[in-house]
Amino acid sequence: MSTVNPSAAAAAGKPVFAQRWRNLDRSYWLWAFAILVLAVLVVNPLLRLLIVSFQDDGGGFTLANYIAAYGRTRHLDALVNSLILGMSAASLCLLFGVPMAWALSRTDMPFKGLIWISILGTFVIPPYLGAVGWILLAGPNAGWLNRAFAALTGADSGPFNIYSMPGLVLVVACYSFPYVFVFTKSALDLVSSEMEDAANILGAGNLRTTLSITLPMVAPAIIGAFILVFLEAIALFGSPALLALPGRFHVVTTQLWQFFEFPPRVGVAAAYAMPLLGVTILLFWLQRRITMRKGYVALTGKGGERRPVALGAWRWPMLGFCLFVCTLSFFMPMLVILQAATAKAWGRGFSLDNFTLDNLRFTLFENNLTRDATINTFTYAGGASLIAIGLSLCIAYAVNRNLVGRRLGNTLSFLTMAPFVIPGIVLAIGFYAAYANPPFLLYGTAWILILAFATRFLPIAFTNANAAIRSINPELEDAVRILGGSRFTAIAKVVMPLLKRSLAGAFILVFIPATRELSTAIFLYSIDTQVLSVLLFDKSDEGNFEALASIGLILVFITVALILIGFRLMGRDFMLRRTAA
Amino acid sequence: MRAVGIRSALASLCVAFGFAAAPAAAQMAPWEAELYEAAKKEKEFTVYTSHYNTEEAAALCSVFEAKYPGVKCNFVRTTAQVAFQRLNQDMQARRPVASVFSSTDVSHYPALRKMGALMQYKPNNLDKMVDSLKDYTDPEHYSVVTAAALMLITYNTELVDEKDAPKNWTDLLDPKWKDKVSIGHPAFSGYVGTWVVQMRKLYGWEFFEKLEKNSPQIGRSVNDTVTMLNAKERWVAAGPEATTLLSRDKGNPLAVAYPTDGALLMVSPSSVTANAPSPNAAKLYIEFLLDREAAETQVKSHSLPVIKGIAVGPGKKPLEEIKIVRPSEEEIAKGIPEVKEQFRDTFGI
Repeated sequence: MSTVNPSAAAAAGKPVFAQRWRNLDRSYWLWAFAILVLAVLVVNPLLRLLIVSFQDDGGGFTLANYIAAYGRTRHLDALVNSLILGMSAASLCLLFGVPMAWALSRTDMPFKGLIWISILGTFVIPPYLGAVGWILLAGPNAGWLNRAFAALTGADSGPFNIYSMPGLVLVVACYSFPYVFVFTKSALDLVSSEMEDAANILGAGNLRTTLSITLPMVAPAIIGAFILVFLEAIALFGSPALLALPGRFHVVTTQLWQFFEFPPRVGVAAAYAMPLLGVTILLFWLQRRITMRKGYVALTGKGGERRPVALGAWRWPMLGFCLFVCTLSFFMPMLVILQAATAKAWGRGFSLDNFTLDNLRFTLFENNLTRDATINTFTYAGGASLIAIGLSLCIAYAVNRNLVGRRLGNTLSFLTMAPFVIPGIVLAIGFYAAYANPPFLLYGTAWILILAFATRFLPIAFTNANAAIRSINPELEDAVRILGGSRFTAIAKVVMPLLKRSLAGAFILVFIPATRELSTAIFLYSIDTQVLSVLLFDKSDEGNFEALASIGLILVFITVALILIGFRLMGRDFMLRRTAA
Repeated sequence: MRAVGIRSALASLCVAFGFAAAPAAAQMAPWEAELYEAAKKEKEFTVYTSHYNTEEAAALCSVFEAKYPGVKCNFVRTTAQVAFQRLNQDMQARRPVASVFSSTDVSHYPALRKMGALMQYKPNNLDKMVDSLKDYTDPEHYSVVTAAALMLITYNTELVDEKDAPKNWTDLLDPKWKDKVSIGHPAFSGYVGTWVVQMRKLYGWEFFEKLEKNSPQIGRSVNDTVTMLNAKERWVAAGPEATTLLSRDKGNPLAVAYPTDGALLMVSPSSVTANAPSPNAAKLYIEFLLDREAAETQVKSHSLPVIKGIAVGPGKKPLEEIKIVRPSEEEIAKGIPEVKEQFRDTFGI
């Protein structure tokens, strides 16, 4: 893979440097620019946080914040709970996401379109809205599932309790597994059938081929997704606040929120967020260890054909599994949300005289606040996605083609991943500290939201771009270079066309979480830059569940519609199937 | 939900027919006309508020705009902590946005005053305030009480008959309510914090040790109890009067009971900020909050009127007929941090 050997170049000293300077690729300016943007977006806010964590009220140096943050067993328990939550939720996500990705990408399972739309819908539901839905489904006393169980078995009560660690893990996994799904699927879409054929010819069955050839080929994507979901799970605030507190346990984010009680202790909060950064570094190191010495190149210049695996009778159990997951994550919670959104009073349950479209009509047509917030939400999310994808592509390319040296490359990868693990509330404070003052003066403008969203979801864009670029054999670009084309030509004519599909996936992956992002938005929005997620949160705070559900339903509906239209415009069908090479 | 539409329609009707809202400067007291003129030059102002829900905040703004045409009223409605954090951010960035600050957490005001963030202003309409509330307003006029509400016992009427509903706070400790009580968390809600201080004052910490035996469900905001009762997940709650009754108005099976040992009175002040971009409009808005139009709007959302002579909504007791309790400001300021710790020790979160 490596095109230059940095240590050798450094050892040879100045003449080599001069020569390198003469032969310097113009594209270096692009990488340098990307690194600068990264510094502005990530390094600056993180550095501010680090500084704040060592500052007392007067700005002097202190360790008191760390003592306050870790001097209590309660605070340490919360850290342990978060790690348990992260590991369990990420594992469950793999269990949900990987088989579904395989089924949709590589098999002849029926009703793929339905499953895909359901997963898209799942992804669009803000996690706390899903959590509210699940409270109604699996509340220990009156949850629909528990009542159904009691009615069927004659028992006094049902077995489900959403207010528990397993309950929280399930809800978090339900709204995070789409990450795993999309990552795995876009990687699987690139694997050609040749290697599977080789295994088949050597006598391996479909199952063995899948487990020992196909899935290992996409291991970087799966591992990347695992890390992403782990980080997402420990940085979530909404679902733990709804489920963990009544379940009588804390996680890092609910504990963090308490540092913002009056008087807010920003320094302690920053100190408390620091181990999360440590965990991120550790995960990265592990990922490198696992994937470093193996080749995962799937896209080469040598053609390759893809045929779906014929599942035979297993098509139906596979579909059953997919439907089961979608029922948990999408159909059942959506039913609850739909009922509440169209109810005069949702506490009265299903009945015809309780049905109304007033909530929806009001939210859609009569409320200026919702309308403006809807437009803002989608504009900001779109802008943030473009920035995040552009930047992460540059970084991923520079890192993977060793254009910047291994050590700097590792640092860059870490930096692009770091924002995800900083809980949104804390990141917002860092952003505020970094950009409210001169020379930026972005506070109160749309830009601070767009940049914050772009930063927050940069890791998703990067993971995606990284996996995509790793799958492209450099020999394709080398061919261009040998024939006299510049690096830019290689990127524009070879890399970008090959990446188009992955990039469309990456766009969705950043766009959707940006539309539902709450924790950074709540401190950075202003009267003219209201977004839907904040409105939703306010409704939950106001106990107005009918309005909450209406806004949620509209958010889900518009986002899904926008994405489908987007794909039509891009000349692809919504399954992301290859319609043009 | 539809109420806002109706309210703004009503407000415009009032303007059309020249009721109350007639902006004729001649009808205004001289100080009011003067403020209004100055406010018109400022064109608009922004309120950071955690006093009301979004609909009520919007309704108040539109009634204000109808009463004082030419002065635009913007609002950011959020929770008390967020409002406070944002105000601090604005000040540090030297980009003041809010001219009026309305928090439900009374401890914000002394802190802000210490930072020099509040403007001293004695409203002309202060005389109109209900006498019992005057005790709670800042004698030095850095803030003034502009909202009042009650926390009391709430229940789901499909699960609990009126005769069986808890009559006082200690009824919640009855073992028959095991697994059926819902409360909020003092670290997440100023209402709940004040309530815990009050219960400790009345019955000692024992109250919560006994309550813990009934395994209450603990949400964050006091409004979470409304969701829990509606979902039938819980039967009875220590909940907010206004939000519960608003939800009941839509047809949800909820009711409130005024505890015989005293409903908890919550008062929330507002201030003009020291660096207000629109100080005159801000003062005019404070006056407005202490006047009839605002009070009538608030009553529709089941908030208590802070001024005299306002009829309360149907199915509600007027303030005079309710037994009210409230800890003193010192008890609240000193007590809330203490009870947060005690609460965590007893309930584990």
